[in-house]
This record gives sequence, structure tokens and C-alpha cells, in this order.
Amino acid sequence: MRLRYVAVSLLCLATAHAGAQSGKSPELRIDYTRETLPNGLTVLYHVDHSTPVAAVLLWYNVGSKMEQPGKTGFAHLFEHMMFKGSKNVADGQHWALLEAAGGRAGADINGTTSWDRTNYFEQIPSNQLELALWLESDRMGTLTETLTQEKLDNQREVVKNERRQSVDNQPYGTWVEKTEEVLFPDNHPYHHSVIGSMTDLSNASVADVRSFFKTYYAPNNAVLVVAGDIDVPQAKAMVQKYFGPIPAGPTPPPLANMRVPTIVGQEQRLVVQDAQAPAPAIFVSYRVPSAKDSRAPAISLLGDIMGGGRSSRLYEALVRRQQVATNVAGFNFGLADGADMLVFTATGKPGSSPDSLEKGMLAELAGASSFTQSELDRARASERFAFVDGLQTTGGFGGRADRLAEGWTFFHDPNHVNKVLGEFDRVTLADVNAVARERLVSTNRAVLVYVPARKTAAETSSTRTP
Amino acid sequence: MHRSQISNRSRVFSQRNVGRVVAASLVVALAVASDVARAQTVPPPPGALRPYIFPAVEQFQLDNGLKVILVQKHTLPVVEGRLIIDAGAMREPAAKSGLASLTGRLLSEGTGAMTGADIARAMDALGAQYSTGAGFSTSFADVVALKNVFPQAMTLAARTVVAPSLPASEFGRVKNQALAAYQQSHARTAGLASDAFIRAAFDSTAPFSRPASGNLTTIGALTRDDVVNWHRTMFAPSAATLLIVGDIAPAEARSVAQQAFGTWTASRAVLPAVTNPVRPSTATRVILVDRPGSVQSSIVVGQAGFRANDPDYISMVALNHVLGGGFSSRMNMNLREKHGYTYGAFSGLDLRPGAGAFRVNSEVRTSATDSALVEAIGEYRRIATEAVPVSELQSMVNNLVSGFPNSVQSVQGLSGSLQSLIVWGLPLDFYTTYREKLSAVTPDDVKRVAASKLTPDNVIVVVAGDLSKIEAPIRARNLGTVEVWDQNGNKVR
Repeated sequence: MRLRYVAVSLLCLATAHAGAQSGKSPELRIDYTRETLPNGLTVLYHVDHSTPVAAVLLWYNVGSKMEQPGKTGFAHLFEHMMFKGSKNVADGQHWALLEAAGGRAGADINGTTSWDRTNYFEQIPSNQLELALWLESDRMGTLTETLTQEKLDNQREVVKNERRQSVDNQPYGTWVEKTEEVLFPDNHPYHHSVIGSMTDLSNASVADVRSFFKTYYAPNNAVLVVAGDIDVPQAKAMVQKYFGPIPAGPTPPPLANMRVPTIVGQEQRLVVQDAQAPAPAIFVSYRVPSAKDSRAPAISLLGDIMGGGRSSRLYEALVRRQQVATNVAGFNFGLADGADMLVFTATGKPGSSPDSLEKGMLAELAGASSFTQSELDRARASERFAFVDGLQTTGGFGGRADRLAEGWTFFHDPNHVNKVLGEFDRVTLADVNAVARERLVSTNRAVLVYVPARKTAAETSSTRTP
Repeated sequence: MHRSQISNRSRVFSQRNVGRVVAASLVVALAVASDVARAQTVPPPPGALRPYIFPAVEQFQLDNGLKVILVQKHTLPVVEGRLIIDAGAMREPAAKSGLASLTGRLLSEGTGAMTGADIARAMDALGAQYSTGAGFSTSFADVVALKNVFPQAMTLAARTVVAPSLPASEFGRVKNQALAAYQQSHARTAGLASDAFIRAAFDSTAPFSRPASGNLTTIGALTRDDVVNWHRTMFAPSAATLLIVGDIAPAEARSVAQQAFGTWTASRAVLPAVTNPVRPSTATRVILVDRPGSVQSSIVVGQAGFRANDPDYISMVALNHVLGGGFSSRMNMNLREKHGYTYGAFSGLDLRPGAGAFRVNSEVRTSATDSALVEAIGEYRRIATEAVPVSELQSMVNNLVSGFPNSVQSVQGLSGSLQSLIVWGLPLDFYTTYREKLSAVTPDDVKRVAASKLTPDNVIVVVAGDLSKIEAPIRARNLGTVEVWDQNGNKVR
């Protein structure tokens, strides 16, 4: 039960035309054992003795899409409260104990919140596995027993600072929330940002924290992954000891209706005067099938072909040929339900006009179809590498434990991690052309234009029918 | 590309990279487990520690003098090849600041009959992650790839370093990209504060007084001839090291290295070691840089003059970790967890050949800038003047010692650790003894190193933010001599 792989045979070195080498994905398998505790907690065990490191990782099936109007940013604020102590763990001790045990703050010990889920993780020397399990169980079972207004006030300020640092004080920092606002209708769960609004953060109360905990933080709404240098029977005994006594919670309320029409219907265009931006930038985003849709791999590949690197169409057109951009990118967010966002962005030269940048970008996107096999092969090769590269770490961001939890939470299939490469391999040129033809249309796009401004920020918006 | 795993998510903690701090694991004495109570009200004790052994570091040399370092790691079919050349920004003349970096950018724009677009397509077809560039200490070319395509990716990457065409047709565009990158980094308070700090802390003759990117004036003046000359005079196997890390057997590593670099014949004179003279100073200077409209300020407090090959280096690593290397460190517990001024506050030992810098930094909300400065300087003073409790030191040192295996699970983590040793002039077996040395650091060692290295009444303080809101409150704190600089590092008042 350890990570194993069979590499494909070495390709011919003498081949001059690298583009012909589409190759195959390496065969690798992440083995796991699954159990379900009587309280509903799903546990996945993955063994890898190559380094004396163990990972504990929890995904709770709650994200910002579950937030109610007027309470935006709450799932994330709550995540911060999970680090402020519980019944047997004093404020500050979660970090102090894990850091003294060898977990690096940030990379090994952290929590993250997205639209679709919240996760918590520890990557520690394998002899400290029990400590990490105890800490996670204590907060799952008893978080609100030591909750105070003071702790909430402190973390509210920290989160406001996080928002300033990642959004308000950064050039182009508002692009994600502005894109969501126009690609998803009012009141749609993806309409608002994960970090939330300053006003809503100010209004969050201790009662809100208690109620959120009661609603979503229960063993039956989570998956626990224990991975790395572990002995499975011993790990199972520890999990039983610490998580077994936590009672099941009520079934969480059903998710709001996530369905949206296939396309937005009308082009949305927003011009943002950004006082901190040194150069214009354009973000063109499309509503596309979600991560749970069978077309999701084709969407990722479409993002790569158009904007995923220095051989992408946008890079060749805007950076190399027209020289109106200094950088481009193309990617999707991987939103799980209803629809996802596929984004292309280009940054202009300082002092240049945003008009030629926008024009060049829209022209290139309008012609996005009739892709070639070598374009698809390049995109697939980069996805393949990125996937394998991410599996190098046991825990932390995007490591093997994270991938296992993702499979369970989004697909109810812990084996999903072992299917990803095959799904990319099966995508055909016709698949990518079809999603491009259907989705990369002007009536399905949001165009966000950032214009450097020396004055305070102001905005104008318009809706344009083609 | 599905990018949600690297961005656009909010997380509880994000550590800014404030210089690399290295550590290694150690078998430490562990408390013996006592009886576990029924309901666990105290932290469960650790089990028996499994030993961690840093993988073997093999070395060989090609006939042309290129040093090759090989570390095998066979857990996944991934291999990294990284060529580093002692041709970083520290080697360029001040008037040509940015030359190494611009040359690094141009390496990927052509070799032989291949254009930059051809190279990009070939690397992407292999699924190889390929980059070229230059930082302060080195010029580099790097590939990370699945093992079956690694030889091809490495061979092509080598051609772009050894025989780049540095095409005139791409020069203007790539220079514009370098200028744009400078402007983007200086549109952020952190970029402004960082550059002002090194300019104030180091003598104007020190390479580290300048950003490795160059500035608008010096980049603007660079010509293609400069780039061609730089490559011709500085890129040679005798001044380079090739790191190969990952799922590759020694015989194949040798053959790939030979195939990729065996015909490289350039030569170069041996250059003297770089010095980074520190700017003499007798009292604290407070440098303010205006960025109107900022809702947060970047603050930096620190000093120049730290070396990795100093006998006190390891004690300094421990001191740094207590002050601001982790979440539970003093800076973060004070500025974030106690006061809520920031999302995070840290310190870092930014080591460079010659001399580096030690500094604390944070992004703090505008209205709390002066208060945050007082707390940051207060923590700097406290660690410089008061003994560190032994339990606090042990906890933070153990974080470094025990956390090291986590940081080298990936080939990139391993190659980064090894590159630091080469750049800093430390022996390649450093990680086998470093762990014991770090664990042996005592509060007296920290006290001694603090007394000899830190001068809390004579530090450089930099603040980049909205001066219309923060200047008066900062001046009222009487922290030192206040100067206001423009965004290009010129004193305006």
C-alpha cells in the first residue's frame, strides 16, 4: 500500500519534432483504505513510508456558497475561529503545539476556504500523528465552548487585514469579485466573493459563529484523510479514540439551487479606474461547465491552449506578434456546482492604451476554435506534469491528502485521484472545439478593463448586446 | 490549467517569503508517554521518532569543469535539472543594473535555428516546466519534467544557456517586459519598501543596495551588445553548477549531463568574492515612501551585515525563528494575534554572498501604522536585549529541526536547499551536521549573537504607504531621523 508507478518507456531522443510526442500519462496509483465511523465521519488512509512525515487533513463540506445574504465572508471568518482554541486547547496553543512538533506555519499547518469547501491540515513528523488528530478532534467536537467576543473581534480585524492585503491594496485586486458578480446572477451562491464584504464582516456575531458550527461542523459533514508514514491499524485506533465519541450533527440544509443558464445571455463590460495599477489589464471571463461536469477536463485544456503558457495562442498573438501585452494567462477556478468561470487575462505595457489590448484579446478569443492536435497535446502534457508534480507532497496545499479529500467531497469517490490523468488522456480535439464553440461567445463573456488612474477609484459599467 | 489551488482562496495564514531559512531534522530526546487519560485533556505525547536521513549528495565533474550534483529521489517520476552560474546581478556593474536579469530573460528567446516560440512549443510539448533568468546571486536555467522526457528537456534547456541566439528581433520586446515587471513590482507597497530598505542599509557600492531587476533608467539604457558581452564573458562551465534531483539513476544523470553540457567550452577568469559593504550608521533612520491611496502600509525594520559562513550563523537562525520565523513567533503573536494590526508579521534572514540583511516586516492597516511600528521596534529591541526563555527557544528550534523533512519532499524543495549551500559557500554535507548544531543552540548563544549583531537603536526603518495619513503620526513617535524618499529612492525632504 504505497505510492507506486510504472513510468512509460523513454521516448526516442533522436526525434527532432517534439510536438509529435504526445506521449502517454505515467501509470501511478494512490492507494487508500476507507472507513466510515458510526457518527458518519468518512476516513481515508494512505500509506507512504518514503519520508517520516504524516499528514492529517480535513475537508468540511461547507464553503462560501452556503452563506446567507448579508453574511458574506462568514465561512472564511469561521475558519479563522477554528484556530482560536477549543475546550482543551487554549488560544494560541493549536499553532504553538504543532509548530513545536515540527509543522511549518503556512505550508504544513493551515486552513483554507473556497466557494465549495473548507479544509484544515497538518503535516508533521510521523511520530506526532496523534497530536494532530487530537487537535482536529477537539475543535470539531468543542470549538464553541470557549468562544468569546474578544476572539471574534481579533480575527475579524485579521480577516479585514487579509482582505486589504489581497484585494484592496493590490493593483487589479478586485478582479475576482467583480468577475463573479457579473458572471453569476444576483443571489446566486457564487455571486459573492469568499473573503466577503467589509460591512458583512463587521456585522458577524458570536451567535453567527455558534450557529454555523452547529449547522456544518459535524463528523457527518466532513472527510478526514490520514496519510504518509503511518501504520493503518494504529491510525484507525487513534481516529476511533478521538473522533469516535463526537456525536453526529443534523443533516446540513440542502444547497441552494446552483443551476444557471448555459450562457450569460449578454456581454457584461466593466471599466475600473484603478489608482494603483501601473498598466492596463483586461480580464475576459466565461461561464463554463463546473468541475463536476464531464467536460471539465476539456475546459482546463481550453484554458491552457488559449492562455496557459508561452506557446499559447494569446501569448503568441498579444505578447510576441502584436506586442500589446507583457503577460497573459488562462485558467478556470474549478467551481464544483452549477457552473465554473474560465478566465483569460492580459496585462498591457505601462503607458499604453487599454483599447488595443482589449481589441487584440477579443479578436483572438473570437477565433478560438479549430485547434490543432499539437495544441491539444501540449496542453495535455502540461496538465499531466502539473498533476504529478502536485502529488510529491503528502499533505499541505494540493498534496496527495488534499486530492483524496477532493475526490470524496466533490465526487463521492476517493478513487477520483486515480482517474484524473485518464480523463485528460480521453479528451479529443472535437471535445475542446465543441466547448470553445459553445462557450467562448460574446454573449457569454464578462470583460473587465482595468485602467490606471491617478485619482480615487471610480467605476463605469455597461452592458453591450452584440 | 486549474489554478484554484494556488490562488483565489482565502486561507488563515500566508507567510511572505522573507529569505530562505534552512534547517534539518534531528533525533531529539522525547518525553516518555505517560498514561493517557480517558478523555484527552492534554496533548498526547509523541511516539518514537523515525529517523530522517538527508539523501546522499553525489558529485562529479565534466571534462570542461562543470560541477554536477546529483540527488536521487525515486518516489514519483519527476526530475529537475537546474544550472546555476555565478553570474547573478551581484556581478554586474552598477551602471548596467538589470543586465543579468535581462540576459536571463533573453536566453529562452532562441538558440540555433529555433525561435523563442519554437522553444516554448517544444518545452510545452514535453510538459516540461522550463524557466531561465537571473537573481541576485546566480543566472539560471531550470527544467522540471516527468522522467521519460527529462533528457530531451534538459538538452534543449542547455542549448538555450550555452548557445543562445539572444536575437536582436526580440530584444526590444523583452526589454519592455523587464521594464513592465519593474513597474508592476513597484506598484506594490512591499516592493517599494524592500528596495528602499536595501538602498538605505547598504553602501552605494554594494550590489545588494540595488534591486536585481535594475531600475527604469538602467534597464532602459541596456543594449543588445551589453547582453551579448555579458553572456560571452560570464557564462562558462567553470563558474557553473548543474543540480540534478529526482527519479534518475546515476548513469543516466551522467549521460544527460554529458550530452547537454559536454561540448560547452567557454572559459572565464576566476572572479574575486563579492563584498556587500554596509552603509555606516550611528542612529536609527526612518524612511518614508509615499503611495497615495494605500489602505495598508508596508513596514520594515532591520539591519545589514549577516553571513551564512559566520560561526554565529546557526544561533542567528534560531534567534530569527523566535522573533518572526513562524506563526507562534513574537512578531506575529504581537502584531496579528494580540493587536489585529495585520494579516501576518514576520522576520527573515536574507542571506547573500558578502553580506545579507536581517529584517522584520508586515503589511499593516493604515490607521495603525505608527502603533505597529512601535510594536515591531519593541520586539526587535526585546530580542536584542533580553534573554529568550529556554522553553520558547526549544519550541521554535524544534520547529525548524523537525519540520525540515516536510520541506524536502519535492525535488524542487531539495534543489532549493542545495542551491542555498552553493550560493552561500557552505559545504554540501551541511545538512548532516546542521541539525545537531541547531538543537544545541542555548539562550546564552542567542544572547551573545544578539548583543554582537543587533543594534536596536541603530536600525533602518522603512514605511511605504499613504503619507497624507501616516507621516504625522509616525513623526510624533520620535523613532529616529525621518526622511521622505520618492519611489525611485531619492530623498525629497
